[in-house]
Amino acid sequence: MKGMIAMKRVKKPVFFIIVIFIVALSVVSVFGIHGQNGDNKITYIKGAGDIRWGIDIRGGVEATFSPTEGVSATEEQLNAAKSIIELRMVSTNITDYEIYTDAGNNRIIVRFPWKSDEAEFNPEKAINELAATALLTFRPGMEYESESTAEDGTTTYTVPKGETAETVLIEGSDVVSAKPAVQPDETTGEYTYVVSLEFSEEGAKKFADATEKYKGQVMSIWMDDVMISFPTVQNAITDGKAVITGNFDSKEATALAAKIEGGALPFALKTTNYSTINPTLGMSSLDAMSMAGIIAFSLIALFMILKFRLPGLVAVLALAGQMAITFATISGFFPIFNSFTMTLPGIAGMVLSIGIGADANIITASRIMDELYSGKTLDGSVHKGCANSFSAIFDGNITIVIVAVMLIGVFGPSNILSALFGESTTGAIYSFGFTLLVGVIGNFIMGVFASRLMLKSLLEFKPLRNKWLYGGSAK
Amino acid sequence: MKKFNIDFYGKRKLFFIISIVMLLAGLVLNLIFGVKLDIQFAGGALIRYSVDGEVNQDEIASIVEETTGRDVSVSTSMLIGSNQNQITVSFAGNQALSLEEQQKIAKVLSDSYADRSFEVVEASSIDPVMGAKFFQKCLVCFGVTVLLLLLYIALRFKKIGGTMAGVTAILALVHDVFIIYFVFVAFRMNINDIFIAVILTIVGYSLNDTIVIYDRIRENKRIMGAKADLAVVMNDSLNQTFARSIYTSLTTFMALAVIFVVATIFGLTTVRTFALPMMIGVICGCYSSLFIAAPLYTMWQKRKTEKQAG
Repeated sequence: MKGMIAMKRVKKPVFFIIVIFIVALSVVSVFGIHGQNGDNKITYIKGAGDIRWGIDIRGGVEATFSPTEGVSATEEQLNAAKSIIELRMVSTNITDYEIYTDAGNNRIIVRFPWKSDEAEFNPEKAINELAATALLTFRPGMEYESESTAEDGTTTYTVPKGETAETVLIEGSDVVSAKPAVQPDETTGEYTYVVSLEFSEEGAKKFADATEKYKGQVMSIWMDDVMISFPTVQNAITDGKAVITGNFDSKEATALAAKIEGGALPFALKTTNYSTINPTLGMSSLDAMSMAGIIAFSLIALFMILKFRLPGLVAVLALAGQMAITFATISGFFPIFNSFTMTLPGIAGMVLSIGIGADANIITASRIMDELYSGKTLDGSVHKGCANSFSAIFDGNITIVIVAVMLIGVFGPSNILSALFGESTTGAIYSFGFTLLVGVIGNFIMGVFASRLMLKSLLEFKPLRNKWLYGGSAK
Repeated sequence: MKKFNIDFYGKRKLFFIISIVMLLAGLVLNLIFGVKLDIQFAGGALIRYSVDGEVNQDEIASIVEETTGRDVSVSTSMLIGSNQNQITVSFAGNQALSLEEQQKIAKVLSDSYADRSFEVVEASSIDPVMGAKFFQKCLVCFGVTVLLLLLYIALRFKKIGGTMAGVTAILALVHDVFIIYFVFVAFRMNINDIFIAVILTIVGYSLNDTIVIYDRIRENKRIMGAKADLAVVMNDSLNQTFARSIYTSLTTFMALAVIFVVATIFGLTTVRTFALPMMIGVICGCYSSLFIAAPLYTMWQKRKTEKQAG
């Protein structure tokens, strides 16, 4: 028979300290700590409300772009395209996006949520705007292939042909700045919105030559293959400035200016994949899953307390603590884990980790019961039960850790494994692996470490020193 | 704590037969139903609309087929608690659907049903080349994870029972993988990245269970001495760990069952695809550790000692 285990007594207050800590952590991780500074809300500590939701919950668009047929882009070109797309998103006020380049597979992956005040959900329009080549060209004449009339009577002319198609006088790359402006119309005197351009030195020279050559004729301005303006050249313009007039309203002028300034993509992109989720569907999913989490937690709590009594209660506290740690990690409470996006499978992983996490306490409580059954003292049973169960708990969690780490590595954003596996187009599995892993780590902290402290500390409470409370028969 | 006294070893043939029957049933279902690769892997397109009111599935199918020239299959489902109909249009073949085509379809549908509004809830279009690459990635992930777990088995089981313990554990895991695969087939669920995640999680979970049991067998063998009948050692060990295995599986199962029910009510297909096989996987993992791995291992050990004695 093994010799007496040296039993370290854990003081009474430890239990209360841990419980208070768990409650505090739970409250803060869910609600966060915010302050007001005039109009701004300052977030000192992030709460559940600051969780960054994936597009399957918030709604949004995910698209994969590749250069058109036959073009194999270099890494620099892909990165250049990536920055331009980023600029476009930022200029339309989309700040919470994800964008990855996958040089190995010749593609760029973009993911962005709908703006919170978006009324018109038009994923095709959004994708087209992001992927447009945005090549600005000035061409002589205005011959076009086709025209189409929109509902409001405006006509769009597309596809240059003839001499207009063959000659490019000036390109967007010759433009140094493009700004929206207001100027009075020459004939009506009304103020119209225009885009004012400033050319580079070389561009200014080309422009001067072109306006000299085509004085009195029409020079058309094209954005990709859409003709946006066709002014008649009055004089040679040598100051390197030009103005694009058209039927623009303020929004259109600003968008066009941003487009020109953002620059043209180094090559044309085509959309090889896209997927879009409507936010109303997403939000109800979130509510559903939250409800599922609460129900699951309650059921498990009930079971644990009924079956294991006092150690069961400790288990419930530990699970609450584990959840708090998980919430805190995914909301960005701990600054190192800042950029995590939570998706529905991620929530499923969280709920699953409650079920798996209960295991640690079940093993410990069962061992304690076994020891009591074989006639040991209360103190001896609790201490021996805790000591004996550790290796089983550790072993059990390791396999889940291996799986979770693999899922994170393979299906997550760039890391060492990306060399083997390439960047990912799906954040869902990564989310699942992440919450599972965080759950296991949280379980070690709460379900193992804190639980043991709580159990041993409870031994010091005279009124609770009853074998029945620990699963044995009454004293 | 309730003391169990089940003759695991004696009844082992019964459990083997149950497993074989389930696997055969699964195989038959596989032959009948075939297996569907999700568009994530195979490429293809699907659009999900939300419509406020009744629409005719076949009518929609023919409209879309006319517009795109491709075969489609349409399915509808009512969302509980609202009068919204969810219509899923799946395109046959594995060609992606361009943005322009999608817009064309949306326009044609809203023109044909002037008094209904079609709202795009979800639209996915995946190029088959991209899909194949993704499938490859999932397979490699699966392979590497299994290798890592095998490595872990080898290291861990050296102390518990050597190679035989490892092999029987692996057999139990293979059994689990097939059962989960057949669940996907039986419920006509598409094989997608969630399938891979579920399999890996259940394999990890089941392995954990098996290790705990083998650990107890080893401990009892030591306590009961080398002369003890291995069958008795195994039975005792399993009876001791039975309660714990059941409770752990129970809590995990509860959590998953809640997720499954909620997901079904709210029409969350992704989560449902994940919860159902997981639920079955958890039961299966527990079952395979107790009724397949342990008896096989004990049978082998008995034969080894009998050979050594004779």
